[in-house]
Amino acid sequence: MHPHANKFMETARKELKNEQSQMFLLMVSLGAPILRQIGMSTFADIAAAEAYSRAIRADVITRLPELLEAFEKNAVSNGAKVLWAKDAAEANHIILDIANQRGVSYVMKGKSMITEEIGLNDHLIKNGVDVFETDLGEVITQNLKLHPFHLVGPAINVPPSEISEAFLKKGIIDEASTDPVKLGGGARKYLRDKFRNLQMGIVGVNMGVAETGTIINVENEGNIRLIKSSPKTLVAIMSLEKVVPNMADAVSMIRMLTRNCTGQKITSYVSMDSGPQKCDEQDGPEELFIIILDNGRSEIYSDLKTREILKCIRCGACLNTCPVYTKIGGYPYGATYCGPIGQTLTPMLAGMENTSDLYRACTLCGMCKQICPAGIDHPSLLLSYRARQIELKNQKGKKTMQSRGENAIAGLIALGMSHGWLWSLGINLTRPLMNSMAKDGYIGNIPMGAQGWFVCRDLRAIPKKTFHETWDDLPSRPESSGNTSKKEDS
Amino acid sequence: MDARQAILEKLKSAMRVESIKRPPKPVLSELSMNREQMVQRFGQELGGRTGVLYQAANPQAALRVLSDIIKAEGLKSFVATAQDICGVDIASLGEADGISVSFAKDFTDRETLREAAFKADAGITSADFAVAETGTLGVIFNHNHPRLLSIAPPVHIAIVDVKDLYPVYENVVETVFKNTNEMPSQFSFITGPSATSDIQGVEFKGMHGPKKVFVIMIMS
Repeated sequence: MHPHANKFMETARKELKNEQSQMFLLMVSLGAPILRQIGMSTFADIAAAEAYSRAIRADVITRLPELLEAFEKNAVSNGAKVLWAKDAAEANHIILDIANQRGVSYVMKGKSMITEEIGLNDHLIKNGVDVFETDLGEVITQNLKLHPFHLVGPAINVPPSEISEAFLKKGIIDEASTDPVKLGGGARKYLRDKFRNLQMGIVGVNMGVAETGTIINVENEGNIRLIKSSPKTLVAIMSLEKVVPNMADAVSMIRMLTRNCTGQKITSYVSMDSGPQKCDEQDGPEELFIIILDNGRSEIYSDLKTREILKCIRCGACLNTCPVYTKIGGYPYGATYCGPIGQTLTPMLAGMENTSDLYRACTLCGMCKQICPAGIDHPSLLLSYRARQIELKNQKGKKTMQSRGENAIAGLIALGMSHGWLWSLGINLTRPLMNSMAKDGYIGNIPMGAQGWFVCRDLRAIPKKTFHETWDDLPSRPESSGNTSKKEDS
Repeated sequence: MDARQAILEKLKSAMRVESIKRPPKPVLSELSMNREQMVQRFGQELGGRTGVLYQAANPQAALRVLSDIIKAEGLKSFVATAQDICGVDIASLGEADGISVSFAKDFTDRETLREAAFKADAGITSADFAVAETGTLGVIFNHNHPRLLSIAPPVHIAIVDVKDLYPVYENVVETVFKNTNEMPSQFSFITGPSATSDIQGVEFKGMHGPKKVFVIMIMS
């Protein structure tokens, strides 16, 4: 599931030198926030709209179990079959079972982060059910075996020549082309017969409405609508935090989602399904399965701090303004989710031990928090992960996550800070030692490991006397603070 | 313990916090629009997505607009939701030379409907609502209105009555989802043609759904 989250630095360095990636990151970082701003400016009161959508997501998280139960009840009464899956393996098993029972040779998938998270494609293909991605970006990532570069445009950085090569090999196009329109047209033509003959489709869910049991999908390409119309069997898989209280809230969230996602006031299609087709309808699914997936989220929910991550609506706005993401792109994050939301979610899904680069790769500038339509405080979460990491211990009760040097220095400082005389002694010993390395009043480097710090800075040589010593030696002390200082002296 | 029980128990055993009171709902300035403003906004927004709005004084005028679109686009075959959409006599199109029209009720099973919808040059459908806010159509799918007609063919022509034009989504959603026992199996908002920008951020229309969308609004 997270094959190279531990190669963050290595991949980031590579991506910094990748001209293609850098060009698109520049485009994303300049263009996307402007598009978002234009979209948001259609609100009569932007701040009020943001406050409201944040309140909806906060409300959802507060009432999550009740909302899920209501959603299930109403979806079932609409005729949907609701199934729950604890983890990726269970969800994959359920979906494979449904496919096998119906004897389908292939399924088609709408764009969905969650099926990427659980590795559904691999599981189905390994077990003899072919999977066709249908979102153009995912058709590309599937054929080039790439991770998503961006939450919304997973293959936006891939050069057309590479797409052309992969599409030729797969028979999606007949002749090479670097024209995006021709490549897209090729994918349209290639997938049309498959849509027409489709027996089983799989989609994600943008929102599950508790009050009505409705599932909502937001899209531009029309692939999801085709998948929801053509086949007899439809499987919708949603992670458990996707629920919203009612249709009015759903409408408010849709307005916010599309503006933050692509800057659009609305996407081409918003489809809302309440159960399978009714008996006299000619298309639409005869059976609708809704899988509610946990995969670590109930654990995330059990902690008041991390619970906040579940507010996310996957709009991707935080990526486009992140000074780290817009330099390194999506690949270093090594998993389904990249950018600030990946940094907060992936450590919780994959474990804190192998993902420390993720929660450290943050300048704490706070842009993600400022624009998040769901009201997530990413920087504060990342800080809390850093603090938790320090406390992580191995089975013998020893701290595991820092280097020996770091542990030794921390131990030394703790010792000094808890004994006044030791502290003074340390100060008096360190001072001449440091100054022995000074040249012309500046320390340019010190031996033993701190070179990195000095790459672009110098340290002033330390004065001979401490502040307290200088104070005591003053011939006349300032009047106003005299009393306080005398008190401290005594 | 089954997955459902395990998940719900875990969620319920987590620490509870007080619900925070919601701030006031954001003001929707669109609500103050009059009909003329709504029509203008609808056309403008739809146009921004490369959809085209035609205003027709009455069903007869709408039929003329429809034939003009068909000629201009060189369309030969259609599947329509009904013979009569908002008083427009769709069946009469079939009398013209070389044009074939079929209707939703001609198809008794999924296979023949799919075949026709994926083969047709255009789908001609009704729309239950129009939303001025973003130039959006609101469509209830049911036994009279198959889903594929507005998504499978490369051209979608929708006919809507101006009396079904509303300022914002809320007006429409409240009506459609008011009675939870009578909700449609699917309700969709459709705004312009299908589109993508997934390669290099280059936007083009007609990814999987229609390349072109025409809306004929009957103004009487």
